[in-house]
Amino acid sequence: MSTTANLWIVKYKPRRFSEIIGNRTAILEFRTWLEKRLKGADVEKAAFLWGPPGVGKTLTVEVAAIEYNLELIQMNASDARSRERIRRVLGMASQYLSLVGGRRKIILVDEVDGMSGTEDRGGLAAVIELIQQSRFPVVLTANDPWDPRFRPLRELCKMIRYDRIRVPTLVSYLRRICIAEGIVADDAALRIIAQRSDGDVRSAVNDLQAIAQGKKRLMLSDVEWLAYRDRQYGAFDVLKNIFAARTCRAAKAALASSLLDYNMIFQWIHENLPLQYPSPEDLAEAYDALSRADVFLGRTKRTQAWALLSYALDLMTAGVSMVKKGKYKFTKYQFPQRIKILSQTKDIRTTMNSICSAIAEKCHISTKGAVSEYLPYLRFIFRVNPEMAAGIAKWLKLDENMITFLAGSFDRANEIISLMRKRRKST
Amino acid sequence: MPIDATMMLWTEKYRPKTLDEVVNQKEVVERVKQFVKTKNVPHMLFAGPPGTGKTTVALALSRELYGENWRQNVLELNASDERGIQIVRERVKDYARTMPIGDVPFKIIILDEADNMTADAQQALRRTMELYTRTCRFILIANYSSKIIEPIQSRCAIFRFQPLRDEDIAARIRYIAEKEGVDLREDGLKAILYVAEGDLRRAINSLQAAAALGVVDEKAVFRVVGRASPVEIREMLQLALSGNFIKAREKLRELMIAYGLSGVDIVRQIHREVFALKIPEEAKVKLADRIGEINFRMVEGADEEVQLSALLAYFALFGENLRGS
Repeated sequence: MSTTANLWIVKYKPRRFSEIIGNRTAILEFRTWLEKRLKGADVEKAAFLWGPPGVGKTLTVEVAAIEYNLELIQMNASDARSRERIRRVLGMASQYLSLVGGRRKIILVDEVDGMSGTEDRGGLAAVIELIQQSRFPVVLTANDPWDPRFRPLRELCKMIRYDRIRVPTLVSYLRRICIAEGIVADDAALRIIAQRSDGDVRSAVNDLQAIAQGKKRLMLSDVEWLAYRDRQYGAFDVLKNIFAARTCRAAKAALASSLLDYNMIFQWIHENLPLQYPSPEDLAEAYDALSRADVFLGRTKRTQAWALLSYALDLMTAGVSMVKKGKYKFTKYQFPQRIKILSQTKDIRTTMNSICSAIAEKCHISTKGAVSEYLPYLRFIFRVNPEMAAGIAKWLKLDENMITFLAGSFDRANEIISLMRKRRKST
Repeated sequence: MPIDATMMLWTEKYRPKTLDEVVNQKEVVERVKQFVKTKNVPHMLFAGPPGTGKTTVALALSRELYGENWRQNVLELNASDERGIQIVRERVKDYARTMPIGDVPFKIIILDEADNMTADAQQALRRTMELYTRTCRFILIANYSSKIIEPIQSRCAIFRFQPLRDEDIAARIRYIAEKEGVDLREDGLKAILYVAEGDLRRAINSLQAAAALGVVDEKAVFRVVGRASPVEIREMLQLALSGNFIKAREKLRELMIAYGLSGVDIVRQIHREVFALKIPEEAKVKLADRIGEINFRMVEGADEEVQLSALLAYFALFGENLRGS
């Protein structure tokens, strides 16, 4: 997913009110207010949409801009929002019709609870000023509007509450995306994604894409790693503390003070070393330490001499941390892919194992031996010669799944399977 | 080509049924024949490189000893798949204690890939061998006899299988090609011998896969081998050397998980590839040293993915230094 254009959350973004899922009452309330406000009726000058993330607050405003043909002027938390900036960017816009086509506008101040007290000094006052002076409807959004700082804002605004999206609603939405992407999805799998998103459509769709993209089928086993992922949320902090430590003692303490299992943290470090250390020198040095830690871990397990464990822990914490030259660099860590890959490829590995068992039974070799001594040749034969493949498939009694695995494509597999059927008739 | 209902893999179709058919291994075969003649077989340990006929001799011996009903008197186990102590205790014991059928006073247990058994399982096996000698004889098969514990070795007649000579493999490959109506060219045969490295199973598999393309010439054989020893390993090394560690590690995971290659398989391939790289000769020695260390750690039971990642990181640094100088 290198560009946002590939993100499903963007690809399937609603463009009409009718396409937005959930929060019907809130949206209706908003539209009633907006229509009155546009007509110049005596209503609140601004609306304050509040509720948990990913339930459609910003989306409502974006869709409103499309449906009512308004120019959307917005400012969100990623912009600095000092008094001067708000005045400069929004002040003018709030007074005059759009330069292009003379359209009316809608002004969105997104994530007001993200305004920083120090850097966005005077920002809230400027927002109040904006609301009072604007010719056009102003909309604010926030997760939590009950901060005392917002009190003057609340008095000025029409408050509209957004709720979490219910699981069944989310499931049917995810299902529609799957259908559009040509994915056959198990209900149970979608339900797990929906449940753990906590009513957040954005995170549900992102999770769905991470798991299902490029698949033809989405099964329960594919989503199991999500649950695993949730359990280790604290790992991000532990990781940062280890890598940022200035002394060996601090690096070791970062692991010791965590409740997470050291084996799990080991996997996290393994995953994130190349992200933390982009330079080849640092990376090689850090991996050297980590691989030595692994050797000590192995010895500890084998000899059951747990006193040896502390050397392994030294190397995996202090060893990888002291590599850095200079200051800690902020790094966006990621979940260990290995666990994810293992669970996503479970079906493939099961199929491969059954093929190898079939070979083992006929060819006097272990299944492990079959992987290296037979599988590569069978793969080759199944890709280039359907005739020969059909004969071998029959001899080994392979099923359709196994044939597809070896043939590498559904087309080739079908060709082989139909040859097998033909032979059955002729014999 | 006549349409058969099924097609056996040629390694099985042309596996010798009798001791006389066995390719080379003259000394082993002569001695084993004596056992058949006297209907007295000691415990045996067959040791030697892969694809040299160890399993084949064990099976042919069983056939000649028991005739038609050999399967009733022979238990074939693969220690790599069923290597726990539990298996030795239960399956082997249950089988060993019942009486044989026919006029031979003992049964045979073939324990293939026995060098993959844990030391504990081998100890358990040793006891079983002693207890049931009267009704049961063992044929242990291993690549390395040194991996079999001393007490078992001392109870076995040890047979060392020699790597097959090229002319023996060539004769067998020609024979199979003729039987199967394969158009085998001289350069194709040479290529098969080159990739087989004395391993007849690999030679036959290469022949069959190349025959899937039609004419078996050098080009066909190398196409097969390109697939069989994944080009991905070379790609992975190139990625690491060019400094793209993250992509290289992705490749590594693909090889291990999707292709099912073991870490040891991969490190051996890397070892082979290193000498084909276009880098200074003295550098190759340094890399080999590092690869050896990683291989050793994995044999000792270290985490394969972590160790190989460390190796790739070393390659990445190495590539960087090469470009710098």
